[in-house]
Parts: sequence; C-alpha cells; structure tokens
Amino acid sequence: MIQHPNTDTVPHQKAGDTLLSVRDLCKHYPIRDGILQSTVGQVRAVDGVSFDIRRGETVGLVGESGCGKTTLSHCVAGLTTPTSGSILVDTGRGAPLGQEDQIDKMTRDQYTKYRRNTQMVFQDNFASLNPRELVADCIGRPLRIYNEASGTELTERVVALLEQVGLGRQHLYRYPHQFSGGQRQRISIARALALDPDLIVLDEPTSALDVSVQAQILNLLWELQKERHLAYLFVTHDLSVVRHMADRTVTMYLGKVVETAPTETLFRGSAHPYTQALLAAKPDLDDDPNVPIATLEGVVPDPARPPKGCRFHTRCPVATPACGWEVDDIVRLLEADETMFSELQGVARKSDLEAALTFTSDKDAAALHAAMTSERMPDSMRVATEHLDLKGRTLNVRFRPTEEVELTKRGDGHHAACVHGQ
Amino acid sequence: MSAQDKPAAPVIADMQNLRVQFDSKRGKVHAVDGVSFQIRDGEMLGLVGETGCGKSVTGRSFLDLIPQPPATIAGGKVLFRPRVGALCPDCGGDGCAACGGTGSETLDLLKIPAARMREIRGARIAMIFQDPGKALNPTLTIGDQLAEIFLQHRSAALLDEAGITLEDTGWQASALRRMAHEEDNWLDRRMRKWPPLCSGAQRLSKAVADRVAAALAETQIPNPVRVMKAYPHELSGGMRQRVMIAQALACDPDLIIADEPTTALDVTIQARILDLIKTLQRKRRTSVLYISHDLSLVRRVCDRVAVMYAGRIAEIGTVAQVFSNPQHPYTQGLLDAVPRAGTRRGHLASIPGNVPELVNPKPGCRFADRCTHVMPQCTSADPVQTPVADGHQVACFLRHPREDATSPANEVAVS
Amino acid sequence: MAISDNAIPMSARQVRLRRWTEIFRSLMTNPTTALGMIIIFLLLAMAIFAPWLSTPNTPDAYQMPRDWGATRMPPGTPNHPLGTTNQGGDVLYGVIWGSRTSLQMSLIVVSVTVVIGVAIGSIAGIVGGWIDETLMRIVDIFLSIPELIFALAVAAILGPSFTNIILSLCIVFWVKYARIMRAQIILIRQADYVQAARVMGDSRLNIFLRDILPNASTPIAVQATLDMGNIVLVGATLSFIGLSESGIAEWGVLVSEGQAGIASGRWWASTFPGLMIFLWALAFNLVGDGLRDALDPRTEGR
Repeated sequence: MIQHPNTDTVPHQKAGDTLLSVRDLCKHYPIRDGILQSTVGQVRAVDGVSFDIRRGETVGLVGESGCGKTTLSHCVAGLTTPTSGSILVDTGRGAPLGQEDQIDKMTRDQYTKYRRNTQMVFQDNFASLNPRELVADCIGRPLRIYNEASGTELTERVVALLEQVGLGRQHLYRYPHQFSGGQRQRISIARALALDPDLIVLDEPTSALDVSVQAQILNLLWELQKERHLAYLFVTHDLSVVRHMADRTVTMYLGKVVETAPTETLFRGSAHPYTQALLAAKPDLDDDPNVPIATLEGVVPDPARPPKGCRFHTRCPVATPACGWEVDDIVRLLEADETMFSELQGVARKSDLEAALTFTSDKDAAALHAAMTSERMPDSMRVATEHLDLKGRTLNVRFRPTEEVELTKRGDGHHAACVHGQ
Repeated sequence: MSAQDKPAAPVIADMQNLRVQFDSKRGKVHAVDGVSFQIRDGEMLGLVGETGCGKSVTGRSFLDLIPQPPATIAGGKVLFRPRVGALCPDCGGDGCAACGGTGSETLDLLKIPAARMREIRGARIAMIFQDPGKALNPTLTIGDQLAEIFLQHRSAALLDEAGITLEDTGWQASALRRMAHEEDNWLDRRMRKWPPLCSGAQRLSKAVADRVAAALAETQIPNPVRVMKAYPHELSGGMRQRVMIAQALACDPDLIIADEPTTALDVTIQARILDLIKTLQRKRRTSVLYISHDLSLVRRVCDRVAVMYAGRIAEIGTVAQVFSNPQHPYTQGLLDAVPRAGTRRGHLASIPGNVPELVNPKPGCRFADRCTHVMPQCTSADPVQTPVADGHQVACFLRHPREDATSPANEVAVS
Repeated sequence: MAISDNAIPMSARQVRLRRWTEIFRSLMTNPTTALGMIIIFLLLAMAIFAPWLSTPNTPDAYQMPRDWGATRMPPGTPNHPLGTTNQGGDVLYGVIWGSRTSLQMSLIVVSVTVVIGVAIGSIAGIVGGWIDETLMRIVDIFLSIPELIFALAVAAILGPSFTNIILSLCIVFWVKYARIMRAQIILIRQADYVQAARVMGDSRLNIFLRDILPNASTPIAVQATLDMGNIVLVGATLSFIGLSESGIAEWGVLVSEGQAGIASGRWWASTFPGLMIFLWALAFNLVGDGLRDALDPRTEGR
C-alpha cells in the first residue's frame, strides 16, 4: 500500500549542483524600550541556520509559529538582510560554492541575477496581489522591470504564463478580487515564473486554501517543477503537505535547525524529540483513531531569551542533564507560578549557570529549595543541579556546565541536534 | 464511541430542513438549503466542508447569531431540548415521543423570543469561536469577561453564596441583588466601598472570583489567578483558546458549537486543545457540534460526522462509516485530495470545477457539474438522504432506491 | 467567488472604463449620494455655462453689475427674477457667476493642497526618522488650530482680496492629506503585494507609484470631495467677514452685502446666495460620504 514517492524526484545529486547555501545565518531584531528607544535586547528570530538547496529539489521547512521559518524565507528571497552569516549562490562558475559566491560580496550583476533567479509566492493570496492592478499588469510587471518585453510581445508572454498555471487569455483584464483563492494563488505562481527563476520560495502557499483546491495547486507546482527544473523552498506547518512535496525536510525550533533529513527518513525514523512531537501531534487520515494524540507540555519560550544548549530542553519529554539547564529555566518555572514569582526579589547572576535568587522571606526561599529537589522539577534538571544552597532568604544555585548541542550526522543526509543517539 | 454504544441517547438538538438566504447585489444567495441533522446527548458531531458550504451559518443559527437584514431564515426548525428547564408539557417529565425521551421541553430556537434566547445563550448553548483574539473583548480583563457570564446566568447561586437569601428585603440586599444582576447604578458603586455594604459586596465578588478561577483551572491553565488579571493581548493563542473554552463551559451547557476552534493554533497546541475539549466533553456529557474543514481532526475527535457541500448535507454517519466507506462522490473526492503517505506527487486527486454560485440555484444535485458519476436525474431533481447502513445516510442518486425524476425535494429520512 | 466568464473584457481600457461606470452606478444607487450628484451636476453646469445663462458684465464679468435705476427690487421684478441688491446688482447674476468663483476657489485650493499634502505625507512616510517626526509635529501644530480661525488669521495678515483668501485656504487645508498619506504608506507598505514587488526587484519609486499611491487614493479622494464643499463654506465665511473685495460676484460677499437689508425685510439679497453655499457644501458632503464604498475595487459589483 505505501509507495515510495521519492521515485519521482530528481535523481542527480552531483557536487556543484548546489543552487543556494545558507551558512550560519542569523537575523536578530532589536527590542527597543524607554523614552530614548534604546536597545534592551534582541529577538533572535533566526540564530545560526545552515542548509543547502540543490537544483530541482524541494526543501521543506517546517516548524511552528515563532520558529523563524518565515524570517529565514525572507532572507533567502532577499527581502531582509541577515544580521550575520551568509547566503551563497551558484553563479555558474562550475566550482563548489565558496567565499566569492556570498551575496554581499558579489558583483552587482551577479547580485541582480540572483534576485531575478529567486522568486517568492506568499501565503495570503488576496494580500499578495495589488488590488488595483489588472492581472495582465501584475504578471507582466517582472518582465517590465527587467525590460524583457513590451507591447504585444509582453501580452503574449503573460498569456503563455497564464496558460501554464491553468488560467487563460480571458483572465487577462480582471482584478484580483474577481477570482477565487485558488485562482489567485495561480496568478501569484505565474508572476513568480515570469522571469524563469531557478528557485521559488513558497511561504505556506496552500495553508489558506481548501483541501481540494490545495490538491490542484500542489499538482500544478509539481508539474512546473518537472518542466522547468525548479527548486522550491517550501515553508509550511502542515506535515502531510511537506511529506508529499519535499525531497528533504528541515525542522526548525526557536530560530535553530533541529533536524534535517530526506523526507521519508524524517517521517519514518526521526532522531529529534521535537520532530517526533510534531509528527505525533498531527492527526493523519491513515492512522488509528483510537490511539490518543500525544501532546507536548509547556509553552514556546520567549525568542528574546532562548534557552541555552538545546532550545527544546524546557519541553522535551526525554531531556537529559546535558541538555543545557540554566538559571533562566528556574526563572521560567517561577513565572508560571504566580505566587512564587511575586515573592522573588532579585536574581544575582554570576553566569548563565550560577546565580543567587533572593526572596522576600525565608519561607519562600525554602519553598523553592524544596521544589527544586522534589518531583515538580524535571528529573534531568535535578541531576544537572551541581550546587544548591539555602541561606536565609537567598538560594544559591549552580548548574553543571554543558556544551552547545550541534547538528550531528545520523545517516545519509540526516542530521539532528540532540544529545540522544550521538 | 459513546453514541454507538448507548442504545439510543436522547436527541437534544434536531435541525429540520433549515434554509438561510443572504441578500446580495446579484440576488438571494441560498447559503443553507435544507440542512437536517440530529445531535444526541453526549455526542460530538463534526460538520465538515470547504469554504462557502454553509457550515458556519448552520452553527450560528443555533444561537441567533446571524444578522437578519442581510440574511433571512427562509424556513426550517432548530429544535432544542435543554436539560435544565421546563418540563415537556406532553408527558410532564417522563419522556415521550414529543420530547424524544428527554422529558424536557422542546424549543424552536428560531422562534423563541429574544429574552429567552439570551437565557439560553451562554448557559445552555455556548459557542467557541475560531479566533480567540477576536472573540475576547480586548478592553476587559479575563476575570471580568468570565465574571459576566456567571453574573448573567448564575446570579441566584452567587447571591446565595454571598449570604443573601430570598427573604432579605433590606436596602443592602436589594443593592447586592442589583449588583449580581449587573443592574447597579452609580450610587451602588459608590456605596459598595463603604460598610455596611462593602462586606456583602466583597463576599459577592469573592464568590464570582472563585467560580472564575475554578472554570479556568478546569481548562488546565497553569496560573488562574494571574490569568484573571491579564488582558487578552497578554496571553498566547493557546491560552486564549483555553479561556474561550472556559467561558463556554462556565455554566455547564448542554450543547457547544465549536467553530474551527483550533485553526488559528500551532500543531502542538492544537493537539492539547483537542485533548482538552474531548476530556471535558466526556466528563460533563456535553454535546458538541464541531465545525471544521480539517478532515483528519474531525476523524480524531468526533463520534459522527456530516459532510456539507453548497448548503446541503451530502453525507452523514459515524466517523468510521464515512471515512472508511464514503458513499458520496464529493466525500470520496475530498478524502482523495488529502496528501497521504503513499500518494505520488502530482497525482493528488482533485475535484474538477468550482463550487457553484448559490444565487438562485437550479434544481438538482449541487455537485452534479463536478461529479464523475453524474447521471441524467442528477440535474432534474434534488437528491434525498438515503440510508446506506444503520446511521449512515447519503444524498446521492447513486444510492437512491427510486431512480426517477419525480423524487420529492428536501425531505429527510431520519433513522 | 469564482469568476464568471460572460462578457470577457478584451482590453485594459475597456476594463477601466467599466470600472468607472460601476463606480458611477453605485454612487447613483444610494439615494442621498444620487441627490448630491445631481446637485453637483447642476451647479457645475451653472458654473460652466455661466456666460450663456447670464450675459457677462463688462469689463470684468466677476464684478456685480450695478443698475442704479433698480436697486432693492424684490424677486419677480422683470429682468431681475431674484431681485436686486442695495447697489442694484442682479441677485441671479450673483448666484450664477458666484458658482464660477466657488468652482475656481475649490478647484484651485483642492488641487494645490492635495499635491502639497500628498508630497509631504509621502516624504514623511517613506523617509521616516527625524524628518518624519519633524514634519508630523508641524502637521500636529497646524491641526490643533481650527481651520476657520487659522484661515481668518492668515487672510487678515495678507490683506483682503479674493486671491489672498485662496492663498490662506491653501496654507491651511493641506495638513489632512499629509496625515492621511503618511498613515496609508505605513499601512500599505506592510502588505504582501509590496513585499512581492520588492522580491521582484522593482525600484522604490515604481513601488510608490504603482502599489502605494493607487491604493492610498481612496481616503484622499474622499477627503478631497468633502473639502470641495467645505472650502467654499470657509471661503464664503471669510468673504462674509469682509476679507474679500467688495462688489465681486461671490456668494459670501453677496450674503455680507445683503445682510443689512434683512432687518428691513429685504431677505432676497442674502438668502439666495446663502442657499447656494448651503447646496454646494451639502452636495459635496453627500457625495464624499458615498464615495468611500464606491471607490474600493473590492466592494464594487458585489
């Protein structure tokens, strides 16, 4: 019954086939506060992401809201400048990507070529089309910008594009609001195809569409990919869509990549607890309805204060002492408990791992001490506590030092950032 | 599944041939055109369909939430039998055919006076909306919003807890009663700060606050006291939805209309909210009408499911029946369109054509122009709900016993 | 809401024409807006065809003709259907030619103020930073002074003349457009279609002209229509106070010159021009209100 969808995908994986490479990309947004609007912190939307996109392949980017996938897609499409890290683009030198292929180090012509070659389709099909622009003008605009055609030739090229996406000449002179959601998304796709790009970034292209319309659009995207040898960066939160469309899948959590693997490998044998949680949470039409849906505890932490080590350790069901427990975790736990938090007077940090928490009374400090050694704290957190000392109103805490959890190789093309199975 | 195991749980909600039309510049849009289904006590009925099928309008008709100038209720009944309330006039509470065995009075929600509907809304029938950010009042704290429900529907019990009995007739008691009914005037508000009124007012506030905290705690909100003081924008999407659920469950309703409650949430949060809804539903034996476009979700949480298309019900049955043995071509098309593990790329089955315009529709099956099994009688007469198995009905001429063009339109065969 | 394929438009011009007819039709469907449109049409006709409706005075058509033999005549007098003023000016002449002056006043002021306001608002919205702050604070200061008082002050400083009234109105009335334009820019540039244009590689100027400006036009057009009415109102008030030249064919001036006669029962010299001011302001306000719904392409034809 289960076929292997990968048999239809592009088979060649030659070196030099990499179209675009993201290396240690970071995008931080400053948080400003106060009268002078000084920067008090950084929202680390994307915090050190690396992956490659090869020609003709679909890379699926999954994660929940706040993971940074939309910011990342904007960086790849050239809408946002990264704070640090680089994006390398194949400029046709015929050699593996290197320093001179970075987009901020390219010549102007090469940069223009990269921008032409990378187009984007947005999630909200209504908002991504100018309501006062006719379809003909909308799709013809990229051609006009680069002076590729004009007059009748332009119109004919637009008609050809419309026909490629399943629309027709009769749709040329209409406004976006006269179309259905699926048709508008087709117009967006036609617009993205106008300059014959190598890579299209699709930001949740079918999330707002009905199931039957989604099926049509996904089929269309596949047809176009086959014909034109397109690469897709397919950003979505819908795992069944990513399983269907992507050759490789990258899972993100709180600005970092937690796992990347060929899609089937990810779905059949994921090596990261977060990916597993995502898979377990999404009900599938084929699974057993009587098995309860596995749920994930906790909330996504503040992206301005991401957890140390593995960012998922605050919610991970299989967290270990080496996953990066730190003082902020205690603060997070206190924040969830109103009564204890209001009694906290101050946190004197010596480092991320060591601090002295001062309460308004002995009783509260003792209460936290008791809680820290009880079942209320995760097992691994208790083990990771190296030193716990109660002195009157102050509780001194020190955690064992841990290292950053990096992506490690788990198999062919399969990397995961988890202490388990390393 | 609870509905199948119980021999015949009483029917608490019975929609009969509902028709709702909207005025538009092009004519009357037949948004809901002869929808009938029943909801039994304690069961969760899913209502699935794509955009424009009329499922939201159907759900809202239970609570008179459809604005009447653009919309007109063109026919049908929405019968409801509240568990708490007047007894059935025919049998005096024993259970008979007229009340479906519940012993309660049967109301037609489309025809009851506005005052009665206000009593029912929130207390006997509650609604969970799709976007909790938009459904919660941004200018009130969570505590205030939930307090409103209790003050609206539970004022007698609250007064009791505050120590005001029916016999108290002093001015204090009257003032506190006014407060409980939210009819206090500016003088009451001034006076409540001073003794002798302040102790009574404090007891009343505490009674309300306790109930609000209990309602929030039941939805597993980690810090009810802090959440009560917060404003909606300070909470995350998942928390806001929990608050909505708490609001819906506050007065222990008989029926909850959940309109896409998890669409705006992330996958992992969605799983928890679904789990919560299911747990609470089982615990309190509340019936739920779960409106969604997500088939896999409905399959997970619902007992029975009705598939809507273009204002009509195409198929209705238990989840197992409809998902493993879909009879209506539309249901089949919909299930085939969902990407699954084995589907080859580029080969997702898609339903050709578009949803028809519902302005002055032609007679016949609405799905006829997109159906691969279309037959001549499909365009001449409206299909009728035909039983396929016990509890499973489909409105399709493929299963119609009398395949002639003179079938009566829109009559429902209730099994 | 799928597309219906009847009457397939075959050219851009055809579609734009159809859109304007749709706008016109939706304006006329609403009874109050239709009334406003009819009044405006009549007023504009009166203004344009003034020389044919009423023989222009020589040498300056905008000076009220003086017929010293027929002063203070009531309405119904032969040759003077609406009566005459204290100086023998034909009230009907004043009404007809006054529509011309009102049209001039409103057109010039609206054109100038829209251009200035949109320009300043665009600079503030696009450049941002301290330029934005400075410009908006200037706008705030202007807005805190009531328009009438402000215009009065400026006109008084400049000296009484019709041109100076127009000038003072221009100085006062541009601020709303700056505010509107800036707010629209901030709103629109977050829209996905602007992002899409940036991904395409379009220049900032082109994005401004094709994406931002057209979509910002609705509130500006509505405000401009309302201002067409209100400018005449304020301008007439200034003339009434005496900040204009006397003796010209302008409704405010006529009201002012005629008011002395009201106590003596000569109501016609003030009432008819006053009525015209009222009709002009009313008509443009009615149309301005109805214009908002009519102009949004999303609600057209729904």
